[in-house]
Amino acid sequence: MSFRGVVVKTWNENQLFSVLVELTYRCNWDCYFCYNDLSLRGTPLSKEQYVELFEELAHMQVMNLVLSGGEPLAHPDFLELGAKARDLGFVVRIKTNAHALRGRLAERVREEIDPFLVEVSLHGASAQTHDRQTRVAGSFDRLLANLEEAKRLGLRIKINSTLTRWNEAEVRGMFEVADRLELPIQFDPEVSPRDDGDRSPLDISPSSSGLRHLLAVERERAERHQETEREKAVREVARQDSELMAGGGSDQHCGAGSSGLAIDPFGNVYPCVQWRRAIGNLHDRKLGELWRGNPRLDEVRRLSRAAKDTVREAGENGWAMAFCPGAAETHTGSPLEIYDAARRRMELVGESIERESTRALPVLES
Amino acid sequence: MTRDTPIDIAKSDVFSRCSDVRFRTVVDEAVVLRQEAAEVLVLNEVGGRILELLDGERSVSDIADAVSAEFEVDESMAATETASFIAELRDAGIVSLPVESSK
Repeated sequence: MSFRGVVVKTWNENQLFSVLVELTYRCNWDCYFCYNDLSLRGTPLSKEQYVELFEELAHMQVMNLVLSGGEPLAHPDFLELGAKARDLGFVVRIKTNAHALRGRLAERVREEIDPFLVEVSLHGASAQTHDRQTRVAGSFDRLLANLEEAKRLGLRIKINSTLTRWNEAEVRGMFEVADRLELPIQFDPEVSPRDDGDRSPLDISPSSSGLRHLLAVERERAERHQETEREKAVREVARQDSELMAGGGSDQHCGAGSSGLAIDPFGNVYPCVQWRRAIGNLHDRKLGELWRGNPRLDEVRRLSRAAKDTVREAGENGWAMAFCPGAAETHTGSPLEIYDAARRRMELVGESIERESTRALPVLES
Repeated sequence: MTRDTPIDIAKSDVFSRCSDVRFRTVVDEAVVLRQEAAEVLVLNEVGGRILELLDGERSVSDIADAVSAEFEVDESMAATETASFIAELRDAGIVSLPVESSK
């Protein structure tokens, strides 16, 4: 069986495969468009609770453990928990801004956690733009220096960037930054509302021309095969549980709540990092108990199947929406309603496909 | 996996999984990730069990015995197939001999 086949099987058979843990909402950056709900209150999970959780997840044969935040390195037990995750055999990914990933701490991350991937955020191709979004002076220069150092240590790194109105004119430059560092880069073409529903981050949503420009640059790079095979492999494995992996073979739209879960610092458990519909809390019940026979999860899985119809009914370019039921619920109140950003993306990708086919016509006719 | 070279593995060899290898048994298949290469392999139930047993403590012979007992395979066939499979895992960079005991 192929890896893709296994991923589809995890969806179909509700085999938990990937868990994202938001260790803390503390952060040494102050990104304008951060999606975390910083007003959320509760009792943070203790180190002992995390250890117990990780042991339970390993017993359940969960393979991927993503340590996220906030800034996960700001958690006082980050190294100890990361090392525990490694000892338990997880494929560990760390989502960090990399601001503190330097010196002895970077060495210890490499030696003690040996993550499969460190995913870092780049917000512009210049200090002016990047620092404007992070609201921390000097964060751009420090990020580039830290990435060089982390690479030298042998950490495997992937750059994540969110397209915004502030950085859309620097897309080509951001790819160039990644190329200079010889790191894979992946853009998220939409800004999300905050997890509490606050829509103010959407003030810096990219323009349609900015999104068109990103699509054009991505197409141009794909044609030039500008990504090395290894960079491509890292990207492919990293997105193993995304909707792009499955396509056919499953009656579910995505793995939210069937092969994946997300957990916030206060123990609330969600079907996915983007779908903030709590299915329980780890202070009340263990994860295995929440996973089995949970009517809230059953409902999420039913909605995931229904979302497949939403995409199908959107037409032949429906796939291009990269429709996310969680984002749909945050944007519109319904996980099955197509939201503006998804619709726009479908239209622009459709335009791009049409342009491509028109451009190809003379060749076909000759 | 298929193999077209002779098996150069001794029954007493003790292999262990390489440090960058991660694996889990997921719905009856073993999913193996080689972190350095970002390569994923999927093994069947028997392959996954052999990989699990390659813990740096059991010899090739011990593992073949376990395979024979657990999967009700003839001892001689289990010995040949297990050694062949371990050789493939070694060639793929998934398991290795500790430096001091490698030939």
